[in-house]
Amino acid sequence: MKVTLRIQRYNPERDSEPYYQEFIVEAGDDKERILDLLHQVKWKYDGTLTFRRSCAHGVCGSDGLRINGRNRLACSTLLRDVNYKKPIVIEPLPSIPIIKDLVVDMSDFYKKYEAVKPYLVNKSPAPEHERIQSNEDAEMLFESAKCILCGCCTTSCPSSWSDENYIGPAALLKAYRFVFDTRDEAADERLDIVDTPDGIWRCHTIFNCVEACPKDINLTWHISQLKKRVAEREM
Amino acid sequence: MAYQPKPPDGWLKTNLKYNKHKGSWAWILHRITGLGLTAYIYVHIYALTTLTQGEQAFDNEMKLFTTPVFKVLEWLLFSLVLYHAFNGVRIVLVDWADGAKYHKKLLTVVYGLGVVLFIGMGVLMFREPIANMFASLR
Repeated sequence: MKVTLRIQRYNPERDSEPYYQEFIVEAGDDKERILDLLHQVKWKYDGTLTFRRSCAHGVCGSDGLRINGRNRLACSTLLRDVNYKKPIVIEPLPSIPIIKDLVVDMSDFYKKYEAVKPYLVNKSPAPEHERIQSNEDAEMLFESAKCILCGCCTTSCPSSWSDENYIGPAALLKAYRFVFDTRDEAADERLDIVDTPDGIWRCHTIFNCVEACPKDINLTWHISQLKKRVAEREM
Repeated sequence: MAYQPKPPDGWLKTNLKYNKHKGSWAWILHRITGLGLTAYIYVHIYALTTLTQGEQAFDNEMKLFTTPVFKVLEWLLFSLVLYHAFNGVRIVLVDWADGAKYHKKLLTVVYGLGVVLFIGMGVLMFREPIANMFASLR
């Protein structure tokens, strides 16, 4: 069957504004992935179409795109997940600078990610074997550790759109990942970083991040746990 | 030559273009009702300034507020209060009581309670005037 892709294009050498270009591609059935259709465009029709992808199996998080108005991974979105009777609109992640076509500048996203110290801090000397954690304690981190840093959540957040200093759901999720890790010793430092108007309190529980997350992480719940922890610390 | 990345669209355009779902509509309505109630506070305080203009001015104004148009406006004001209050409770539950895991169900409760109480208030406010209207037709 024939499917129409309506792709946002932007070439900084030539264009002053992004524009849309339509491509008609051939899809086997509705289990075809959006990423495969993008490959078809690039390999068969227009080699200049630029987009990121690496693993193509929902692990690396490089092909976060806005597909039919919503952020998702091109490799994890099947035709049956979208309305393919009409042209499928493919745009770069919103509210983030565009480098070319579907490739965006993620440096600000990574800067905010680094700000929460996304690594284990433990000053005590390492034991002979691993630092032991109970099953229950590890269970608390499983969901937050699934994050692949695709940026779908932070760029879908209305608070991020209106406040460029907002640290964003992805970085807050990472803060949770280490604040609630029983082996970590820098919880207070991280809570100081997120306990600001541009930190957890900018989250207005809109749930766009939860809708966008390709790994089904309930980010708002994790941010609410940080809010509770900060409030408990004050009391 | 190095090219600068194209800066993103503004927040309003991005908001209008991005897909909406239950959670984002709840937030948009919360904002609108919040702004509406804030605006109402100013109108309310302005209306009270007739108190400084003597008894007659105040009584005239109060008479104006009993006219049908103002009754309906009052009823609509109540809908803003209902939504903002109940959704406020929902937000508190999301932040403090694991509500993030069942926020859509909470929203259904917010809308349900809101509609029931809104209609209930409508019956209380307009039962008598409507009955009187029909009585006068007979």
